[in-house]
Amino acid sequence: MRRFLLDIFSFDDRPRFERVGFLLFLLVLLIFPWIVTSAYGRAVAIKFLLFALFGLGWNLIGGYGGQVDLGQAKNVGFGAYATALMIVWWKVPFWLTILPGMVIAAAESFAIAYPMFRLKGHYFAIATLCVALVWKELFIFWDWTGGARGVELSIRSGADFVYMQFNSPIYYHYFIFFLFLLQFFFMNWFRKSKLGYQVQAVRDNEDAAASLGINVYRTKVVNYTITGGLGALGGSFMAVYYLYIDPDAVMPLDLSILIAMTVMVGGAGSIWGPIIGAAILIPLDMYLGAWLGAQKRLGIDFMIYAVIMMIIAAKEPKGIWGIIERVIKRQKR
Amino acid sequence: MSLKTFGVLFLIVTLSFFILLPHLAYAQKEVKIGVILPLSGPLAPIGKSLKEGAELAADIVNKKYPGIGIPIAEWEGIPGLGGAKIKLIFSDSRGDPAWGAEQAKRLIEDEKVVGLMGAYQSAVTKTASVEAERAGIPFVNPDSTSPDLSKRGFKWFWRVTPHETWFTRDLFDFLDGLVAGKAPGVKAIPKSELEPLAVAAENTEWGAASLAEIERFAKERGWKIAEAFKYPHKATDLTSEARKLTASKAPTFLFASYVSDAILFVKALKEMKATPRLIWGQNAGFIQPDFWKTLGGDVNGILSRDVFSAVLGKVKPEAERINKIYKERSGFDFDGSSARDFIGVQVWAHALDKAKSTDPKALQKALNELHIPGKELIMPWMGVKFGSPFPGDTNQNELGSGIIIQYQGYPDGKPEIVFPFEMATSKLVYPFAGWK
Amino acid sequence: MNCPYPDTLRNQMELVVQLIVYGILMGMIFALIALGLSLIFGVMNIVNFAHGEFLMMGMYIAYLLSTFLRLDPLFSLPVAAGAGYILGILSYRLLIHRILRGPMVAQLFGTFGLMLFLRYLAMYIFTPDVRSVKQGILVGKTLSLGWISVDASKVVSAGLCLIAFAAIYWMIYRTKLGRALRATSIDSEAAKYMGIDTRGMNALAWGIGGATVALAGALLAHFYYVTPTVGMLFTLIAFATVALGGFGSIIGAFIAGIVIGLIMVISGQLVSELKFSFIYAVYFLVVVLRPRGLFGW
Repeated sequence: MRRFLLDIFSFDDRPRFERVGFLLFLLVLLIFPWIVTSAYGRAVAIKFLLFALFGLGWNLIGGYGGQVDLGQAKNVGFGAYATALMIVWWKVPFWLTILPGMVIAAAESFAIAYPMFRLKGHYFAIATLCVALVWKELFIFWDWTGGARGVELSIRSGADFVYMQFNSPIYYHYFIFFLFLLQFFFMNWFRKSKLGYQVQAVRDNEDAAASLGINVYRTKVVNYTITGGLGALGGSFMAVYYLYIDPDAVMPLDLSILIAMTVMVGGAGSIWGPIIGAAILIPLDMYLGAWLGAQKRLGIDFMIYAVIMMIIAAKEPKGIWGIIERVIKRQKR
Repeated sequence: MSLKTFGVLFLIVTLSFFILLPHLAYAQKEVKIGVILPLSGPLAPIGKSLKEGAELAADIVNKKYPGIGIPIAEWEGIPGLGGAKIKLIFSDSRGDPAWGAEQAKRLIEDEKVVGLMGAYQSAVTKTASVEAERAGIPFVNPDSTSPDLSKRGFKWFWRVTPHETWFTRDLFDFLDGLVAGKAPGVKAIPKSELEPLAVAAENTEWGAASLAEIERFAKERGWKIAEAFKYPHKATDLTSEARKLTASKAPTFLFASYVSDAILFVKALKEMKATPRLIWGQNAGFIQPDFWKTLGGDVNGILSRDVFSAVLGKVKPEAERINKIYKERSGFDFDGSSARDFIGVQVWAHALDKAKSTDPKALQKALNELHIPGKELIMPWMGVKFGSPFPGDTNQNELGSGIIIQYQGYPDGKPEIVFPFEMATSKLVYPFAGWK
Repeated sequence: MNCPYPDTLRNQMELVVQLIVYGILMGMIFALIALGLSLIFGVMNIVNFAHGEFLMMGMYIAYLLSTFLRLDPLFSLPVAAGAGYILGILSYRLLIHRILRGPMVAQLFGTFGLMLFLRYLAMYIFTPDVRSVKQGILVGKTLSLGWISVDASKVVSAGLCLIAFAAIYWMIYRTKLGRALRATSIDSEAAKYMGIDTRGMNALAWGIGGATVALAGALLAHFYYVTPTVGMLFTLIAFATVALGGFGSIIGAFIAGIVIGLIMVISGQLVSELKFSFIYAVYFLVVVLRPRGLFGW
């Protein structure tokens, strides 16, 4: 039991500055809503935490697993719809809707994984893209899920902890912060767990891993299943935060891409990567987008990310965290 | 403390400052209204029209424009607020409901706007108005037509434009009118010549709502439907969908499409030498400048529901005068989009004037009690008064109405009004003449 | 809500034939679009996410030349092809060759970044307004083949696609240059030892890839609208086509294109809303049951 708790919370294998840095980061996030009172600033923080949440989940397959998954949005959609529909149809309290959402997403991922992992590399990436798009079209086509008209959650006044609806962003901030911490510590446990090592071994060299007795296929499937479940968590949050979801909002291709992109830019395969990626891209998007959008300068903000992405792809595939690590290594010499 | 940690801290601190910066000083003699519109993405051209209409209205409110004939033209700023000028703060919704909601939050709490306006796309209006409802800030919606919006029982949401139910009723009034011989210049048309109907709607929130309304009214009024389907918008090719329409042998085609699909449909039907007797589009794509600019003479004979047409100037001199100014500035005539956001600002101006205050509760009361008579509007409406025109509606303008236009004489023509029949500016061209 | 009028058997037959004709015509254009993607993958194992953006560029070239220089869009074809070639080579030299050595994640995101960059560059320059080519010998004219009438530009486009395919096929299998390309795609290390300039071959593949798809774009502009965001949808269809035909196979791209065109038209008739789902589903099934596609490596 002690070992288990230690695994979740300890960072003994990381250099000290990382631990200190992370602690400071947590501290800033904790007091953030009190130092920044602008609604927009708070919204940026919430969106950042949401994408850090998405990114941590995606990191399992994209980073530790080394397989590019461009369809994570379907899992987000499953979570969002599960929560939204359960609340609207049966008035189920929010916290009880999370698990069904995650289970549905995980189950679908599990079912899809068997055929999908016969594919590798580009074929796999495009297949994930196609699967997500098919699901999105299905959700638009189905009337029972609201179709293109989506699902609207009714507004409740005051601070409602049953359905997690609040009129002040401060509550949402701590809400998403809590979810983020849950996922973060899960990641911490994962990367040190047997499954985590197996996944990374498979990523680095499938044949060597197989020769060590690892069931490559099963490892990939389990990894993908867990990723699916984790994606749904963020979706459930989205449902109660925006109070309106439709297939274009929670399952679009752009969302899958944004999630994968933030992790890749930040540094896939490391535990800090998704956080760094989200910390850079989300505020950049929210501020540049708002500032440039109302002027005639359409498109410049995306052109900037595009260039950043291309540079990262060319120079440091390990992302920004990779750059930081390289700089440190050179420093140590 | 290593250099790295310091660097990280420094970054965090500077970011925090950056965040704290957008706190603007509250300008005294200005009343800020936040306007959320799709200024980028595929609907950007519509967003541009909407913006220009709103800007013109704000300008007319803020400066004296003698000789136009409506009260706000004589104003120089809002009289009830001591001449305070309206300042519109535009924000791009990017066509994304989540982003629109974020922008609404930003406008409300950071820009401290007195109220909001927007957002054209019903999905975006849904989420953005939720933010307004939560914050207790008035949201005036001049341009979204999904019936759902006014059925939510919101206390801080008012919709100025008629919605899909109205327009669909107009369509069936028109069809029934054709059968009864009320259309100017056309003898009574036997129902069998117009039946059955074939409907194609895009599979978005708006398209789905339109389709549902059409099917409902058709049932109520006894019109048969041969074919009714939804198609994926932004499609690469609509020839088989167009083929479905022609194969149904229906003489009347009804569409709910945005501009690119509308263009594809017309081209495909032309390619197939289709011979419907009536083609009608549910606004949106069918009234965009891109539609008739791209298709040129091929649009002649096509009908569309609209809320405004520049030819209204023939029967409403005020509309003609304002259209002239608008045309000078933007190069185009007023259309349903620009006209609606013009009225949105007009509603805001009257509400602010009536409330004599920027306090939300005062504005809420003013909007609830507002009555703008039809003659003060460039629209062919009876006026603006919020109530419950259809079952389940709240805060919906009861006095609005739609029109149906027909393209005549393109590429150099104008959209002529053919419905309401009393307001027709030209004879109806029937049947559809086909393409050369 | 269907109230079908009784169709005679002849009508049904007419419908089927018409659908098949449309499907094949669209399919040939899809095939041409997919050709470049297949070639690039065959030679250097990289999937170009920016493929649709090259297409979009071809469309804009046709639009610009037609609107501002009053050139018939047919004349824009060689210009578009040339511009596509140059853009392809530039992309390779500036970006792609740097990411070839990296992990697949990096490659995917390199071309992805290229896609975003080109798309938003177009949006900035041209604004999101919908544009189209309005005049030209072929624009808006229809041909009658028996009882079927089709858009003249679609027929000519299909014809040109056939020619383009034949030309590329001839080049790859009958010329020395083509042999060098094939050698590079089979084993680039060995090809290097044989004295083949593999980097040049890679660049050439990108050049040809860019040229063919930009050409397809200029053809599409005859009957399709032009906006900065058209790229993505065609990229996805191209992916499905190439996967079905087999990455790296020219014949495969051709046949798969026609199949996809037919699927699109038929599902458009049956359940229009899900027509893209059918295409994606086809990709999925093919790739799982026969990962190399119909003719791939």
